Amino acid sequence: MKTSELLGLNARAKLFSYPFNKPLGKKAAKSKIFTKKLLRKAGVSVPEIYAKFKSPLDVMSFDWENLPDAFALKPSKGLGGEGIVVVKKRTRDPVGPSEKLKTAWITIQKKRVTIDDLKLHVLDILEGAYSMGNVPDASYIEEYVGRHKAFRRYAYRGTPDVRVIVFNKVPVMAMLRLPTKESGGRSNLHQGAIGVGVDMATGITTRAFWRGEYIHFKPGTKRKLHGIKIPQWTSILETAVMGGLATDLGYYGADVVLHPEKGPMILELNYQPGLSIQLANAAGLRKRLERVEDLQVRDASHGVKIAKALFISNFSDRVKAEEGVKILSALEEVKIKGRNGQRVKVIAKLDTGAWRTSISRDIAEKMGLLEIDNILWSKKFKSALGEEARPVVNLVLWLSGRKIVTPASVAKRMSLKYPLIIGRKNLKGFLVDPDIREREKELKK
Amino acid sequence: MKYISTLFLLAFFCAALYIPKVTYAQRAAVSSPTPTLEATAESDSATASATVIEKVEPTEAMRPDLTQKSKESVEPLKRLLEEQELGSIYINPVKYAIRAAVDAGVPPNTIVLLLLLPGVATLIAAARHLVGLRGFGIFLPAALAVTFIATGPVVGIGLFLLIVIVSTFSRIVLRRTKIKLQYLPRMAIILLFVVMGILALLFTAPLINSMALVNVSIFPVLILVLLAEDFSKVQLGKSASVAINLTTETLILSLISYVFLTLKMVQELALLRPELWLISIFAIDITLGKYSGLRVMEYIRFRKLISK
Repeated sequence: MKTSELLGLNARAKLFSYPFNKPLGKKAAKSKIFTKKLLRKAGVSVPEIYAKFKSPLDVMSFDWENLPDAFALKPSKGLGGEGIVVVKKRTRDPVGPSEKLKTAWITIQKKRVTIDDLKLHVLDILEGAYSMGNVPDASYIEEYVGRHKAFRRYAYRGTPDVRVIVFNKVPVMAMLRLPTKESGGRSNLHQGAIGVGVDMATGITTRAFWRGEYIHFKPGTKRKLHGIKIPQWTSILETAVMGGLATDLGYYGADVVLHPEKGPMILELNYQPGLSIQLANAAGLRKRLERVEDLQVRDASHGVKIAKALFISNFSDRVKAEEGVKILSALEEVKIKGRNGQRVKVIAKLDTGAWRTSISRDIAEKMGLLEIDNILWSKKFKSALGEEARPVVNLVLWLSGRKIVTPASVAKRMSLKYPLIIGRKNLKGFLVDPDIREREKELKK
Repeated sequence: MKYISTLFLLAFFCAALYIPKVTYAQRAAVSSPTPTLEATAESDSATASATVIEKVEPTEAMRPDLTQKSKESVEPLKRLLEEQELGSIYINPVKYAIRAAVDAGVPPNTIVLLLLLPGVATLIAAARHLVGLRGFGIFLPAALAVTFIATGPVVGIGLFLLIVIVSTFSRIVLRRTKIKLQYLPRMAIILLFVVMGILALLFTAPLINSMALVNVSIFPVLILVLLAEDFSKVQLGKSASVAINLTTETLILSLISYVFLTLKMVQELALLRPELWLISIFAIDITLGKYSGLRVMEYIRFRKLISK
């Protein structure tokens, strides 16, 4: 990989985080209470808040006895998951004579905390022990989001979440963060959680990165960490994008947690998201960010559609390799999927001199591919007739039995001999026999 | 990352353990003039100490302290200034201003330190943006470097490690004994322990006969205590490894800055070519601010991706 594809701290701050995040968005991202307020107003789902503490008086006057059995106590401006106490059940077992029948909870680290412990912890938070620059902070108690059953076998105690980096309304990279024994149930990478790279198109995990090494299995077990299908993937990505729309952030990382019943929820937004996600995905963030910087993105679902078309992982290469390299002719009959599900056979030219696949305007129009919600973006082309904007659409086709999902530019040229030209980008795993004339005759028959 | 910082920390410990021995050995060799040395105050009896210096090898305690207006620190700089030929006043306004100020009685060591300070800040900025050493901001390493000039690097690091160990120890004690205190009183107690530790060290000065310790003034100590407060804050909130990493990086940065401040060549450049010095620092700062490439530490962090 070229170093110019990687995003470093300098570039993150100078090229993306500062220029694309407005002051309001940064203010919102800094305070989790404020983030939640904005998100709820915009209709993005977030874990329910049970209590807020802004001054020591709030701590004393709060009715601690009536808290539910499971909840999470967090600092509003906490960094890197520090200062968070998550309890899973209530206990009334007396520990000593002095603590007889005192209300207490068991944390996910299997430690016993009493009301006094919690009060003291909140007071610490209010003093700013966990905030950036140790400024006075606020604290809140929110609902405990349990593990979704898809992750139950992979996470240790805590709740895994999906970190999605979003730029210009397009989710560009994602990582599943699995808590481990070392991270104490927390899902922050520098505390020892596992970062698992995810294919943007399918939501299937590709590789896992843990403490500086790529690993295949969950530590201490034989459970594969690649190939996990994350449920409700599209919905997770859309939620991540909507979080930025609600808070006016242009470049950020959204921590999305999958509630077992209520679906994806945003835990927090970070306008300077960590860079280890590049290691987990073995991909450079800078290249992807530059790729989507100039796109005109309409809304969350449009952004997700672009992401799925652009950032499809090539992990299916392994499958292709098992099938072996196929030899195709320069002209092949392919099936194209239309908007209403119909499939049409056309003759496509496999053009190893072109990078991107392109489709003629007539056929694209006929098949409904030019409908607004199927257009990914428009690209400007300079030709002898001046500048024209060519739309790039999402195209699904079957070539020699393989399904290919790809962005395809729509060409206006009337002289296009073949309605579909398949570029190099989609010809991985194929060899192309360049003889056209014989094949043309063959197909005419 | 972790290995690197632990290595550095080990190196520091070794240095802190090793260097004092050497100094003590040297001190033992020249033990006879010690009483006179201890009797010398800072400025008035400088001649007495100067004669001693000429006789024996210069030891740690006798290096010219740039932060003090003593004869050893001022005279060479004055001589340098007087030897310089000033050009046209239109091209060299700062040179004329410095000369006038020094003639009026402004100590040249203060001017040199002031001129060097933006250089140190630039150095720290470069260390962050080109190398990736973070440290506690820009002020603390710079202040530490100046402190090291005042106390000497060995005593400085010794004091620093003492403060850090004491504050960590008191934190652990407070946690083990389950005394539940609010944040600020807890910090106050840690500070109390730190001051007690420094006092204890100062009380041992007559026993180990350390000149450098006796000469320690309040301001370097204050700066060190401030750093310890920051350190404890970070430790109380965040994990120990984060705090140790940050502190190690701060120490490395301030040691580099210290060496930079004491380099004769740099001092002369700043004092004799102030215009060139200031403008080039400004230019370097601008270039650093525009840099958006990877840092050295990031090349290491992402080596698995780059080599592929």
